[in-house]
Amino acid sequence: MAVDAQGRPPLRIGILSAEHVHAPTYISLLAAMPGAHLVGVWDEDRRRAATAAEPVGTRVFDDVDDLLERVDGVVIASANARHRRLVEIAAAAGVHVLCEKPLATTVVDARAILDACAHAGVHLMTAFPTRWNPAARALESAVRSGALGTPVFLEGANTGTMPDVHAPWFVDPTLSGGGAVTDHVVHLADLYRWILRSEVVEVYAVANRILQERFARVETGGLVSLRFASGVSATIDCSWSKPRSYPTWGGLSIQAIGTGGAFGIDAFRQHLGVYGTREAGISWPAWGPDADAGMLAEFLSAVREDREPAVTGTDGLRAVEIVDAAYRSITAGAPVTLG
Amino acid sequence: MLPDRALPDRALPDRMLPDGALPDRAHPRRARTDAPLRIGVVGTGFMGETHVAAWAAEGIRTVIHDVDAGRAATLAERHGARVAASLDELFGAVDVVDVCTPTHLHAAVAVAAARAGRHVICEKPMARTLADAEAMLAAAREAGVRLFVAQVVRFFPEYVAARAAVLDGAIGEPGVLRLSRASFRPRQPAGHWFFDHDKSGGIILDLMVHDLDYARWIAGDVVAVHCRSASVAQPDAGVDHAVAILTHRSGAISHVSASWGYAPPTFTTSFEIAGSHGLIEQSSTTTTPVMPSLLAGAASGGPTALADTSLAGDPFRLELAEFARAIRDGTEARIGAEDGLEALRIALAADESARTGAVVRITQGAR
Repeated sequence: MAVDAQGRPPLRIGILSAEHVHAPTYISLLAAMPGAHLVGVWDEDRRRAATAAEPVGTRVFDDVDDLLERVDGVVIASANARHRRLVEIAAAAGVHVLCEKPLATTVVDARAILDACAHAGVHLMTAFPTRWNPAARALESAVRSGALGTPVFLEGANTGTMPDVHAPWFVDPTLSGGGAVTDHVVHLADLYRWILRSEVVEVYAVANRILQERFARVETGGLVSLRFASGVSATIDCSWSKPRSYPTWGGLSIQAIGTGGAFGIDAFRQHLGVYGTREAGISWPAWGPDADAGMLAEFLSAVREDREPAVTGTDGLRAVEIVDAAYRSITAGAPVTLG
Repeated sequence: MLPDRALPDRALPDRMLPDGALPDRAHPRRARTDAPLRIGVVGTGFMGETHVAAWAAEGIRTVIHDVDAGRAATLAERHGARVAASLDELFGAVDVVDVCTPTHLHAAVAVAAARAGRHVICEKPMARTLADAEAMLAAAREAGVRLFVAQVVRFFPEYVAARAAVLDGAIGEPGVLRLSRASFRPRQPAGHWFFDHDKSGGIILDLMVHDLDYARWIAGDVVAVHCRSASVAQPDAGVDHAVAILTHRSGAISHVSASWGYAPPTFTTSFEIAGSHGLIEQSSTTTTPVMPSLLAGAASGGPTALADTSLAGDPFRLELAEFARAIRDGTEARIGAEDGLEALRIALAADESARTGAVVRITQGAR
């Protein structure tokens, strides 16, 4: 077996489920990382596992326990509602966990995930790769250094195409937990918590199902307003507002206002404009640094160094609590308190 | 579902053309020679000067009045206007009174002008309070004169083009709107009426009202308003950043942001209108067609940010010309006085929500 740059044997990593659209990215990145040995892929749908494993030639496992016996850590990329069961199985096998966002579809499940990992003594990381996006890091630095002064307001948009084009479960509430609010609130909510070092105390949200031709069984449009313990207000447009004709999947942007001025980021602005044949249409291929690679490297480091990852299970739980409060606010038609 | 107050279909296309491209039958210059309207402008501050200049560009020599006679005289000289020594003198010399006073004085001037039998054009926001706005409507009705509220964003070509695209069905039914207007804190001395919430209503009534009106023009009447605000300059300097979340009766939702938190000379506007079948995006940061980077005279600028209208067919001219045409011909303009009142109603609800933290429910379109 190969060794990494420090001469250590690579960590053995498995993939539990390739249901999520991000699984192929994780698989190709892990297959190429010197610190990782991608052991294989398990999925309850064997054909899906085979399809995901094929490009890098990794092994397909029929039995989840068979894979868990051979790895130090797993990346869980199932449909949202199946996270809890898979985390519990992995933790029981003593395997460290990087779990796709949102950590769970209910606060109860998110807490159970944290408890399972704590009880088993394994590390749990939530997949919030945007913390490794260079623009997001530049904003965090501008706040940390004091360049922005005291932050007073954060406005953000994390909008995209309706992800049913990747996998139908995204719009099945029993598997996804919800629509645009579930899918797109957590990234910005986590970035805001990270940037502000403060917790959300109040949530207001509105949502509708007008976008995407009213076909979805879940909300496709949503606007969320957060109030932090530090007094800062923040908003999130989480809508699936990009039509199929849009040149890319979507984007994430923040306008931060502080006593030192304003600081804007557009996290996926580093893209080409490619205007090909009529059939190929218009596309915006991204060329910026891959935030997923930074996130996976941190997971490997945390496992190797036996320390808490930079994004924890608690971070995942807090984001789930914010989503839960957003749905409660939508039902109530009024702000709800949190914490 | 389209907004309640959609324009009559045949009225829209002409009004979207640049002034010079209007067909002969509607050309304002030709019509004006038939019945020239005499225009008076009350208040010669920032917006008063903008209007006097726009009227002058339309070939109209205005009569102006200001409590500061010296400022009125300076402005008159610059734009070839004539100064009236009193409101009564002005009312006696004009057919239309264009009210550009500080916000809290709109109602007093507009009501007096209406009672003197003069048509009224009033700068936005329509008034400082709903009671004032209602009094203006009542006075105009009783006197049988026209009343218009100058929500100029309805005349900015990018906003007009987006509305035309929506009416054309390009994106289906509007579902989620995001509107933003970002600038720096107006450079006025402490004690200026602009910074007195009782007089101006602050950033929500002054700046956000543009996009609140536009959101309603696109997605229809609003039933619930949530707003959060923040102070940037000093803790007690008043609000200079606010975001409102609107729920429209149609079910559409809008995110409306207004900011004085940016560094001079920033003035950017953007909007996104997402619909059942598509999306419209617009940002001044990517559509401003000149990009100077000159070494001399960097960033002097005026006291208050204003869009560079020289690049956009001067919406102020289009607006005032349309009001004048509507008065002369007895036709409707794209914005009525009731629309100005409803924009103010949403703004006041946002201001209340920002202060109390609660969602404010309102009733619109019940008339």
